[in-house]
Amino acid sequence: MNSVASIVLNRSFQLGLLAVILIALATLPLHYQGYNIVRLLNIFMFVVLTVSWVIFSGSTGYMSLASAAFFGVGIYTSALLGDKLPIAVVVGIGALVSSCVAFLVGALTLRLRGIYFAIFTFGLVELIKHLTLWWEINMEDRRGRLVVYVENDIIFWVMLSILVATLLTAYFIRRSKWGLALQSIGENEEAAAHMGINVTLVKVITFAVSALFVGASGAIIATRWTYIDPGIAFNPLYSFMPVLMAIFGGMGRLLGPVIGAIAFTYLKEELGTEFPELYMLIFGIILIVAILYMPNGLVGLIQRLWIRGFRRQDADT
Amino acid sequence: MRRKLLILMVSCTMVLALAAPLFAAGCDEAEPEKEVIVFGAARPLTGPFAVYEEMAFGPIYKMWVDEVNARGGLYIEEYGKRLPIELKIYDDGSDMGTMTSMLERLILEDEVDFILPPASTAFLFAAAPIANKHGYILMGAEGGGTTLTPLLPSLPYYFGVLNYSDHYQMPVLADILSDAGIETAAIMYLEDLHGVEYSGVAGIELTNAGIDIVMTKSVPLGVMDVSSIINQAKTLGAEAFLSFCYPDENFLAIGTAIALDYNPDVFLTGPGANFAFFAGVFGPAAEGIMGYGAWNTKSSAASEDFYEKFIALYDPGLLDWWGHNLYYAGLQFFEQAIEEAGTLDQAVIREVMATSTFDTILGPTWFDMTADGEGGGLLAEECYTGQVGQWQNGVFEVVDPGANRTAPPVIPKPAWPAEE
Repeated sequence: MNSVASIVLNRSFQLGLLAVILIALATLPLHYQGYNIVRLLNIFMFVVLTVSWVIFSGSTGYMSLASAAFFGVGIYTSALLGDKLPIAVVVGIGALVSSCVAFLVGALTLRLRGIYFAIFTFGLVELIKHLTLWWEINMEDRRGRLVVYVENDIIFWVMLSILVATLLTAYFIRRSKWGLALQSIGENEEAAAHMGINVTLVKVITFAVSALFVGASGAIIATRWTYIDPGIAFNPLYSFMPVLMAIFGGMGRLLGPVIGAIAFTYLKEELGTEFPELYMLIFGIILIVAILYMPNGLVGLIQRLWIRGFRRQDADT
Repeated sequence: MRRKLLILMVSCTMVLALAAPLFAAGCDEAEPEKEVIVFGAARPLTGPFAVYEEMAFGPIYKMWVDEVNARGGLYIEEYGKRLPIELKIYDDGSDMGTMTSMLERLILEDEVDFILPPASTAFLFAAAPIANKHGYILMGAEGGGTTLTPLLPSLPYYFGVLNYSDHYQMPVLADILSDAGIETAAIMYLEDLHGVEYSGVAGIELTNAGIDIVMTKSVPLGVMDVSSIINQAKTLGAEAFLSFCYPDENFLAIGTAIALDYNPDVFLTGPGANFAFFAGVFGPAAEGIMGYGAWNTKSSAASEDFYEKFIALYDPGLLDWWGHNLYYAGLQFFEQAIEEAGTLDQAVIREVMATSTFDTILGPTWFDMTADGEGGGLLAEECYTGQVGQWQNGVFEVVDPGANRTAPPVIPKPAWPAEE
C-alpha cells in the first residue's frame, strides 16, 4: 500500500499523469466527433471563466461581476474581425481588448470596496451592452451581427489552449510573491500597503490579467453561436455563473474552482435535459444546500470526509 | 501528503467520469427495431423568451404531435408501419450558448430523428447553420428576417414559414396606405433586431409608394413613457402611425395616443395586435388598429377547422392571427414530405420538400427555393393568407389588396372611444 502511495505521490509521476490527460484531451477530436466535444468545450469555457474570476476575486476578496463584460468584448471582437483574420489572431486580439478594458476600468474603480465594487462591475456589463447597442443602431444601422463559422474541433483546441494558459497562470500566481501580495490585500489591505506593496498596481494588473482569458474564451465561443447581438453577448448569466461555480467548488485551492465549474456545468446540463420543468428548482436547492453546509465548497467537503476517514482508520489500528 | 493524494484521486475520478461516456459510446448495442420517431427541440421553457413557448409555436407543435399520434403516427414506408412521434424538449433557459449546445446534443448524442426550431429570430439564425452542418431539416417557426436572406443559398436544410418585413408585409402595407391616399407617416421603433429591420424596410417601401415619413424615433426596450413621441407625431399631423415594437411598448403607444387624443387615420403596431387577447384588453379602442398577419376563420374552411381545434384545446385568447396557421401549415407540410419520402433520411426528405407542393390549411403550399433549388427556402408569396390585418367589429380582418382580403380596410380608423 505504502509503495503504491509513494509512486502515486511522486512528483514526476503526477506531472506525467497530467501530460497524459492533456494529450488524451488534445487528441480526442482526431478520433471522436460526437457531442462530448461540445460538452467538454463548454466545461473548459466555464473552468476558464471561473478560474479567471478566482485569480482576482478569490484572493483579494473584491467581488467582480464584470466577467460578462469581458466575455462580451471578446464575442464582439470575433464578430467584427472573425472573417478578416485567422481565428487564433482574433482570439488573441479579443484577449488583449478585454484586458485593456479591464485595465482602464480597474484603474478607475479599484478604490471602491466591497459591495460598491460588485455593483459597479455589474453596472459595467449593462453600460457596455447599451453603448454597443446604441453604436450599432445609430452608427451601423443594425442590431446584431453574424459571426464566422468555425469547426468544433478548432474551437475545442483553442479553448483547451486557453484553459491550459489560465490554469498555468493561476498556478504560478498562487506560488509567486505576487500571489502572496494578493492574499495580503485580501486579508488586510492597509497592512499590505504599509508593508510596501503597491496595492493599486497589483490589483489593477491582476484584474487585467484575469480578463485576458475571459475575453479569449468569449472570442472563440462566439463562433459557435453564429448570430449575436448586445443582449446575447453581454448576458449577465456569464457574470453570475463563475461566482456560483467558485463558491460551489471552494476557493481555498486551485482545484476548487476547477471542480466547481466541471460539476456545475455537468449538473446544469444533465438536470436541464432530464428534468426541463424542474431543474431550476433542483438547482436552487442544491445551491442553497451547498452554501449552507459546504462553506469550503465541494473540495472542502471531500477533504473533511477524507480527513475523518483517516482519523477513523488511525483509531482502528 | 494526504492532500496531494486527495488532489490526485479527485482528478483521476474526474477524468474517468468524463471518459466513461466516450467508451460507452464506442460499444453500441445492436440497433433495436424502430418504434418511435423522435422530434427534439431546445425551447425556452424558462427565461425572458418563455412566452414564445407558451403562446407562439409551443401550443402548435404539441397540438400537431397529438393529432399525428391519434392517427397512429407517421407512416414510413421503409419500416412498413406507422411510427408515433415522441417529443424530446430541452430547456435552453433563453440563453444562446445553451441553445446551441442543446441542439447539438439532440443531434449528436440523442440522435433524434428530426428537430423542431428554437424560439426567436436570433436563435433561429444561430440554429440554421448547426442544423445544416449535420444535415437536419430546420422548419422555422417564430422568426425570420432580412439578415438571414443573404445566407439562405448556403442553408439548403432551412425552410422558413413566417412572413416578415420585406417578405411581404411592408410592401403590402405600402399598397394599402397609398390606395387609401395616405400621404404622411410617423414611425416609432424598438432598438432591437425587429424594430430596426421593420423601420428600415418600411422607410424604403413607403417612400417608394410616395408616402412621406415625417418622423422616425427609436425607443429602448422597456421604455415607460412615449408621450413625447406621440405628441411629436400629433404635432406633425402624421396620418399614419406605425409602432414597430413588442407588445409592452405597442400597448403603451396605444394607451398614450388615447390619452393625448392622437387619432391618426392608420394606427399599426408590431407584435401584440395580432393576438386574440388584444381585442379583449382594449375593447372598443382596438377597433381599426392594424397589425401583422394575417388570417381569420373566413380565410378558408381549413382555417375555420384549425380555429375550432385550437380553441377546444387552449384558451382562445392565446390565438395568434399572424403566425399560428403558418407554424401549423409548416408542420403539416413537413409531415407529408416525410411520408412521401417513405424514409427518415433527411437528404431525401429535403429534396421532396424543395420540389413538392402539399395541401395544408393554407391550401396548396410550397417553398420558393434559393440557389436554383440547392439553397434554403421560404414559404412562397402565394401561400400566405395575408400580410396585414385590421381589427373590425372584434374580428382581425385581412385587409391586403387582392384575393386574401376578408374585408376592405377602414381608413380613417374610427375615433378612440369617449372616456367614461
